[in-house]
Amino acid sequence: MLEQKHNIKAWIYLLPALVLLVVFTFYPIVNAFILVFMEGYRYIDGTWTGWTLTGNIRYVLNSQLFWDAMRNTLVIVFVSVPISVIISLFIAVWLNSIKRLQGTFQTIFFLPYVTNSIAIGMAFAVIFNRDFGLFNLILGLFSIDPINWVGTGASWGRAMTALMVFIVWNGLAFKIIVFLSGLQSIDKQYYDAARIDSASKRRVFLKITVPLLSPMIAFITITSFIGAFKEYTAVVGMFGENLNPGGGGRNMMITIVGLVYESLGQVYPGATSEAAAAAIILFFMTLLLTLFNMYISKKRVHY
Amino acid sequence: MNEAATYDLERKTRVQKIVRMVFLYTMLTLFAIFVLIPFYWMILSSLKTPEQIESVPPALWLRFSEMQFSNYYEAVFSVDSQPFLRYMYNTVIVAALSTAGTVITTVLSAFAFARLNFRFKELFFLLLIMTMMIPGEMFVITNFITVNQLGWVRPDQTYWDALMAMSIPFMTSIFYIFFLRQTFKTIPDELYYAAKVDGTKDFKYLWKVMIPIARPTIITITILNAMGTWNAYIWPQLVTSTRHGRLYHYQLVSNGLRNAFSAEFQPQIHLQMAAAFMVTLPILIVFFLLKKHIMRGVSRSGIKG
Amino acid sequence: METIQIRLENLTKIFQQKGKEETVAVKDLDITIPAGKLIGLLGPSGCGKSTTLYMISGLLRPTTGKIYFGDNEVTNIPPENRGIGLVFQNYALYPHMTVRQNIMFPLENLKFPKEEALNRAQKYADLVGIGHLMDRKPKQLSGGQQQRVAIARALVKEPRVLLLDEPLSNLDARLRLQTREEIKRIQRETGITTIFVTHDQEEAMSISDEIVVMKDGVQQQKGEPQKVYDKPNNMFVAKFLGNPPINLFEGRVSDGEVLVGEMKFGTSKGKAQEVMVGVRPEGFKRVKQGGFEVHVEFVETIGRDTTLIIRNPLDETKTFRAIIDADERVEADSKVRLSVKPNKMFLFDKESGELV
Repeated sequence: MLEQKHNIKAWIYLLPALVLLVVFTFYPIVNAFILVFMEGYRYIDGTWTGWTLTGNIRYVLNSQLFWDAMRNTLVIVFVSVPISVIISLFIAVWLNSIKRLQGTFQTIFFLPYVTNSIAIGMAFAVIFNRDFGLFNLILGLFSIDPINWVGTGASWGRAMTALMVFIVWNGLAFKIIVFLSGLQSIDKQYYDAARIDSASKRRVFLKITVPLLSPMIAFITITSFIGAFKEYTAVVGMFGENLNPGGGGRNMMITIVGLVYESLGQVYPGATSEAAAAAIILFFMTLLLTLFNMYISKKRVHY
Repeated sequence: MNEAATYDLERKTRVQKIVRMVFLYTMLTLFAIFVLIPFYWMILSSLKTPEQIESVPPALWLRFSEMQFSNYYEAVFSVDSQPFLRYMYNTVIVAALSTAGTVITTVLSAFAFARLNFRFKELFFLLLIMTMMIPGEMFVITNFITVNQLGWVRPDQTYWDALMAMSIPFMTSIFYIFFLRQTFKTIPDELYYAAKVDGTKDFKYLWKVMIPIARPTIITITILNAMGTWNAYIWPQLVTSTRHGRLYHYQLVSNGLRNAFSAEFQPQIHLQMAAAFMVTLPILIVFFLLKKHIMRGVSRSGIKG
Repeated sequence: METIQIRLENLTKIFQQKGKEETVAVKDLDITIPAGKLIGLLGPSGCGKSTTLYMISGLLRPTTGKIYFGDNEVTNIPPENRGIGLVFQNYALYPHMTVRQNIMFPLENLKFPKEEALNRAQKYADLVGIGHLMDRKPKQLSGGQQQRVAIARALVKEPRVLLLDEPLSNLDARLRLQTREEIKRIQRETGITTIFVTHDQEEAMSISDEIVVMKDGVQQQKGEPQKVYDKPNNMFVAKFLGNPPINLFEGRVSDGEVLVGEMKFGTSKGKAQEVMVGVRPEGFKRVKQGGFEVHVEFVETIGRDTTLIIRNPLDETKTFRAIIDADERVEADSKVRLSVKPNKMFLFDKESGELV
């Protein structure tokens, strides 16, 4: 009696969320796959001129902007994620092995999580200023001449380096706090046992901590990869709407998501379908990477 | 092991321990500085005069008498500046609307998933989880079309239109439903049976028992959602953008901030940083007031994955 | 394997928690544990026995006092350099490693050549009887098997001392009997100085060469189990050892006689005073005449023993137990005459609880 099926009642409870999800989540997913096959679609009045199987995808793949976005996105994904995962793992392990000031450090390290990416991105742009930025001042201590990181005319490599510092800074907080709570949930007895077994600190880290933390490392890695694939706000924060060092020019630092919004902002017929094409390419890339990650995890992660 | 060896071993152990502690605290302090520098530089720059900003090398600190607190006044009220208070007001309204909506839809559906039995429950839940893997940009495209077709984004967009466009698509969240369902699941079934035996209606049980027990999680959801609106940039920019000939003043703080004082060749960095700090400060205050809820919520949201 | 004696000198451990009063977990412990023996540290929970074990292991540092292994002081030597093996209460087997990897872990840490490490791991796995389970993960083992893996892991580096923390508490009753004999056998075969901690007096008494009874961080008595049982130093030891527990009566010594109420329990050379009289259940015997008459409320016959549950004449609401031969038939709700075996009766000071 108590656990009978409450079909109608349950759906009433679900209704508000369901309506919103259908309109703003489920239908859009399906519609993205429809849009990508439409020719000359105009979002203003919802008209289109015909159908095409690969036209939009081809158009996107043939544009230089897409490959710029691809290059930038892949660099962000494959450079910033490993760096920040490794740094945050070490920070969390160090933080976990002190007693005094642990809470204070933990609070400080969490601050980047509760900031506005735009605001901090702008502050980073000031720090990386060629003439009066803090970063070049510090480099100056090592007799390195001022470098134009983010100003007008900055090279791609330099702008990307500065962006990477910001993205890593921005992403550490979440990883540290998750790793830390993971470390704290590991039974202390394993560490006592490892001391009795005469394990060195290095071996304790490699043979006990990392394996026991591996589900969390896998989780963080997957979500960070997905997050990095979608990076855009950080670029706007640092380089402005035009996604270019110095704020002028256009789109040197564009990412795939940036491309989606770039196309979405255009009113010419077919622009929306190009956005859909870019989004679908992004979707399949994240899917592929996630599946690959899960495959690796299955083999290497201890659950 | 003779006595000398014992002594050596003891000393070696003690030295190792001290070296380790020195290493740990040094690394952590350096890292803390790395984390804090952007905040410090933001505040420092916001208090400089334009000349001090451009001075080479930059001043690393300011005397109190040098601090230009008037930058803040200027950032808010100067004729040339963007209507900053207006953005804050908009943001608070949008945050309140979308958070209220999110909490209501989340609580109701998390209750259905955690407590009620219905057909296709498992299937539907699986569908939701799969959807969480799909990048949000997939939805944004059609949502943009939808809000256009609903008439919320027109050249003659009203304030109400803008509020609807910015809040309604964000009035539910699969992630929070999942998050709250996990909390609801930890409430023992016996409580429900006992309430049923006493003749309590489901809604009353939800209201009187489950919500109070899950209060910390609901608070966490509220804070994280409101912070999300405060930091939202892309969507508000899209649906209130001047590119379509509309006015700035329906936008949210993050948009206002990015567009403020950023003229390409004459950025007014001191005012930019003052504005940036004004956007940063409220979230920092909320964070310090509700630190426990936020940090626990975030670390738990990571663990369950 | 080298066997050594362990000496604890004035060992004290004080825990100081923030904002709370300090708790003295162990106080002024002086114990010498002879080489090659199996010693049980026994006491109720919170008596400091585990703290003592962890101080011997080096995982806890004593507040004051010294620990000697043989002639060397090891008080400030970290656990990894003490040459000890420790079996944790929950075994603390590394869940992500197989049995073989678990047992080999200490050897790898000590940089043993692979071949030798493998052989040794197999040798000790065989010794504890899990040699055929080497490729399993801990989760795939029963509690008893996990216990053995933990012992093998502790022994594999051939330590000078083996420490076991409540080794049987996580096992079911049947396995417990079996495992405690197993521990005794392994200890005999390896001849390693072994200390184990338990709150179960039967467990300690059954396998230890010597037991140390502790209470509130203070050593109460040390000695061979039967001797401690037969000659407890104080009321606590008398009460803690023995199942069913010892019967205690308020009594007095007067004119060389031990009296409980009007009943004469025996004689004593002590001075006339109020005392607590302790009599083990098996310390009563049935007599045809003499002794004293009591009222039997219930009779429990279990196997070879008959337990009489007898109304305490001093307090109508209380009862005490006497164990007599099962051959003798006693009806419930009847009267019998009992006397007390002189060597099974102990007199304790009413205030201090010390043996008079």
